Amino acid sequence: MATLATLKGLGRELRHNRVALGGFAITSFVLVAIVIGPSFSPYDPTLMDFTAILQPPSWAHPFGTNSFGIDVLTRVLYGARNSFMISFAGVSLGAIVGTLIGMTSAYMGKLFDAVAMRLVDLLFAFPIFVLALMLMLILGFGVQNVIVAIALVYIPNFARMARNTTMVVKSEPYVQAAQVMGQPRLRIMVREILPNIAAPLFVQFTVGLAFAIIIEAGLSFIGLGVQPPTPSLGVMMADGKDYFHRGPWVLTLTGLALMFAILGLNLLGDGLRDLLDPRLRRRSAA
Amino acid sequence: MTIHDSNGVGRRSFLKGAAAAGGMAVVTGPMLSRVALGQTRGGTLRAALLGFGVVNTLDPQKAGLNSDFFVLNTMFNSLVKFDGNMKIVPDLAESWTNPNPTTYEFKLRKGVKFHDGNEMTSDDVKFTIERVAAEATKSPNRAKFTVIDKIETPDKYAIRFVTKTPFVPLLSFFTNTTTGSQIISRKALEKMGDEAFGKAPVGTGAFKFKEWKPGEKVSFVAHKEYFEQGLPYLDAVDIPLIPEESSGITAILGGQIDIASTAPFADVPKLQQDPNITVSKMPGLNFRFIQLNIQKPPFDDVHFRRALSLATNREAIVAAALFGEGSPMWGATPPAIAWAYEKKPRELCVFNPERAKAELAKSKYKAGTEAQVITWGSSWWKRWTEIFVAQVNQVLGVKFTLDVMEPNAAFSRFRANDMQAQATGWIARVEADEYVPEIFRTDGSRNFNKYSNPEVDKLVDASRQEFDQAKRGELLKKAEDLVVEDMPMIFTMNNNAHNMWNKKVKGFVPLPSQSFGNQFPPVNLG
Amino acid sequence: MGFLWYLTIRIGGALATIAAGSFLIFLIMHLAPGDPALAVLGESATTETIAAYRAEHGLDEPVLVQFVIWAKMVLQGDLGKSIALAGKFPISDLLVTRLPNTIFIGLYGLVIALVISLIAGTAAALRQGKLVDTVATGVAVLGISMPDFWFSYVLILFFALSLDWFPSYGFTPPGESLIGAFHSGFLPALAIAAPMAGVFARILRASLVETARREYVTAARSYGFAAPFVFIHYVFRNAIIPFVTVLGLQVRYLLGGVVIIERVFGIAGMGSLIVDGAFARDYPVVQACALTFLAIVLSVNLIVDIVCALLDPRRTR
Repeated sequence: MATLATLKGLGRELRHNRVALGGFAITSFVLVAIVIGPSFSPYDPTLMDFTAILQPPSWAHPFGTNSFGIDVLTRVLYGARNSFMISFAGVSLGAIVGTLIGMTSAYMGKLFDAVAMRLVDLLFAFPIFVLALMLMLILGFGVQNVIVAIALVYIPNFARMARNTTMVVKSEPYVQAAQVMGQPRLRIMVREILPNIAAPLFVQFTVGLAFAIIIEAGLSFIGLGVQPPTPSLGVMMADGKDYFHRGPWVLTLTGLALMFAILGLNLLGDGLRDLLDPRLRRRSAA
Repeated sequence: MTIHDSNGVGRRSFLKGAAAAGGMAVVTGPMLSRVALGQTRGGTLRAALLGFGVVNTLDPQKAGLNSDFFVLNTMFNSLVKFDGNMKIVPDLAESWTNPNPTTYEFKLRKGVKFHDGNEMTSDDVKFTIERVAAEATKSPNRAKFTVIDKIETPDKYAIRFVTKTPFVPLLSFFTNTTTGSQIISRKALEKMGDEAFGKAPVGTGAFKFKEWKPGEKVSFVAHKEYFEQGLPYLDAVDIPLIPEESSGITAILGGQIDIASTAPFADVPKLQQDPNITVSKMPGLNFRFIQLNIQKPPFDDVHFRRALSLATNREAIVAAALFGEGSPMWGATPPAIAWAYEKKPRELCVFNPERAKAELAKSKYKAGTEAQVITWGSSWWKRWTEIFVAQVNQVLGVKFTLDVMEPNAAFSRFRANDMQAQATGWIARVEADEYVPEIFRTDGSRNFNKYSNPEVDKLVDASRQEFDQAKRGELLKKAEDLVVEDMPMIFTMNNNAHNMWNKKVKGFVPLPSQSFGNQFPPVNLG
Repeated sequence: MGFLWYLTIRIGGALATIAAGSFLIFLIMHLAPGDPALAVLGESATTETIAAYRAEHGLDEPVLVQFVIWAKMVLQGDLGKSIALAGKFPISDLLVTRLPNTIFIGLYGLVIALVISLIAGTAAALRQGKLVDTVATGVAVLGISMPDFWFSYVLILFFALSLDWFPSYGFTPPGESLIGAFHSGFLPALAIAAPMAGVFARILRASLVETARREYVTAARSYGFAAPFVFIHYVFRNAIIPFVTVLGLQVRYLLGGVVIIERVFGIAGMGSLIVDGAFARDYPVVQACALTFLAIVLSVNLIVDIVCALLDPRRTR
């Protein structure tokens, strides 16, 4: 069982898991780059310079410049920051709402469970881009709506996972004991159940974060997501696609940067899964 | 590098110009007899319509989208047509006269056969024009023909249109463009009914309908009894729809298509270096602008509007959004309509930061004024709006923001004037009357921000009755001068019209109208 | 009895979900700003022609009335006609040409992903910790980390424009030429397959490794059964259940991915139909597409659940 205490202990184990370590290193690098990187860049990510349109990669501009004459690397750093924040917000929203629905469903059972799970099924039945498309039509474009779209994609995942794990934990002796002692339901859910289902949800969160960045990029790529002038990796790639044959570096290098960031998150997620998976842990302990 | 000039078809220069003075007969030369000089016969032309995913109907009198017309033009002729130099020349009509300012008389070509085998006569022409003007047809082009009072058919090959008032632009509306005047077979329509006709229409064009796969492609086969002798050379034409312009490049480079209705701006220089591809370019019949809601703050102040215009560096927009494939505009009439185009830049539309700030000082709105500029569409479209917003913010210190919307929603806001500002444009409009008069006359059909200036109205009305093209042009330019002083929108730019084709395609004549579909008869895969 | 009951409940649930889903889409489409009349009539539309268009297509009725009319029609097996996207074509005709293309590309991608993942996942599991494992796992993670639309452009650049092995654009429907469909569909299918193959391979590897450690496998080994026999009969059969489950879940992503891929490669499929339909506000077309998508996802999930239930009868309880 992974409680908060074991989460702390993970730090030590991380060092022995090469995959997790690699993911951790890449993700840290990416995070540092997008947080403090822009302040080291000599270029302004929004100032247009029409004398320097579409310059190929060089020492001065490692990723070249885009159609506004803006340094692509600088813009990638800013764009990635936005992409990360959007994905983080979206997955967090999905995780909170989904977990809440799932836990309540499992704990309350009966009608609530039936209705909530049907709604989750409904969300689950829509291909994600159809879901996002509908959302954009009614809410319009923009960052908030991409966040909502991502959340809608993840609510069913988290709801199902939270429900299934809660079902298992619910019958554990310490939860039964808390119930017998007459503790309020909410307290039991927060104090007893949540810490014990947190580990798989956390893994799901890390992996979800990676895929959410792809969702953001995909939506923005077909023009349904984040919109200019807000830079995001998807917006930049959509723009780069427009002049792909003239300045292929904008699309390809932005895509490579995106892939690198996602790779880090995926590796981290994999490593964490290995470390946190109770079955595997029991095995490796045995 | 091959910049195509439109000398592909010698016959055109043979024909005398049109739109001559009222009352004067227009005599046109005989058809140059056509001898196949090594042109290859046969083959299928794959002519992609780029940037469009939707064709809604093939019925010319019901069609409203440019894409509808670009496809259906393949199957139809009109009374007259534009040549590569934007001159009106005969098509189904051999010649025409204006016996008096309210009458147009056309002599029709004899022996023209519809795809269904029937002969085209004045009855079909009368039926067609009455159909587009009838309320029951619900044609988006109805308003263009309501000026017609009655249509008479003196004989099988003569037709006379009598208008309520003199209306010079009418002749242009009889061309094979986007005005719904393509001549249809009355017998075919009456036999098939509207709905079936819209899916498989019957015209006189060089190609007849074969198959329509919605959202995918429309296919045509040669019309063996086409009236231009020896034409068409091709056996068949396929028009696939490619909504993504960059995919069009991929398709033509990969050999999946032979010719495309346009070329993405960014790729033009690179395509010109490609030994297998020809790219044509010419100033297009289009006009891009930022529409302002002049009824509401902050755009209800003329000084504020002028300040914005002076703060807009149009050259920079053309360079970065169009990659140089266009030119700045200081009015609404595009350069391709040379006789009505003001060649001298109007000062209020030339980038001048000092003067912009001076105008701002005279305005009741100051730096820090907020406004939302709606934009939509593909990347380059968003790009130019983004540059506009960045420029005015930088020069004037205003706080404009960009609001990207989905196109249909944006267009409905535009029509309802339910917005502050929006990047918009008109394309494929061939007649001068479709610019200043339709956009700025008080009751103009596309005057959506309710601009009104009695002086402009007077000049427009005078221009509509002026058969002398040069004088008419002067009247329109004067009206445009007044409009620019009032600055009801930020006149921004005109983009080049392009076509690109594989070198094996011969005989294609590009048109500034960005029209497509009606240039296929002389095309061959030589 | 138990199984039949389970089946009835599941099908009933799926139908209810479809009904609720189409109502939801209907509401969203009609509440969204915009107007099909504008999409059809273009820039020359007038107030009168717009009003006439709306009346002709019954768009001036209240939304709920429109939904009831639509639902009645659909229950009678008529999906209606396109109102803004494609003349007045019967929507069933559109689906007949579009659906096979999407299904073909989807299945093609799925098969490619399965082949890659079965090989890579099994090899990695058998050679756990070895170089093969590291390479296979690494490539799998890379596949998952790659946006499919970006990968499409890379594929086009190399395999279509540089090497000219495959067409760069367009798709030959399987109905016209099966070979043509396999050839022209390869790059789009590969683009869709890449992330899926990554997901599948990882699941399969993890599942195989996990199962191989189970007591009964150890027992089977200790009985002296040959290693390949143990692997196929004990390990593989049991490891495949989570694999099949994930396969079912992937359909939702698969159909989502197809939307973008169809656009990049110019495939006339369901994805481009629903996107164009939504932009043109062609309500009946969007409804029909949504209905189809829902039906596909739900039936795949149903089939997956049934397969799992048959493999592991405990699930139906």
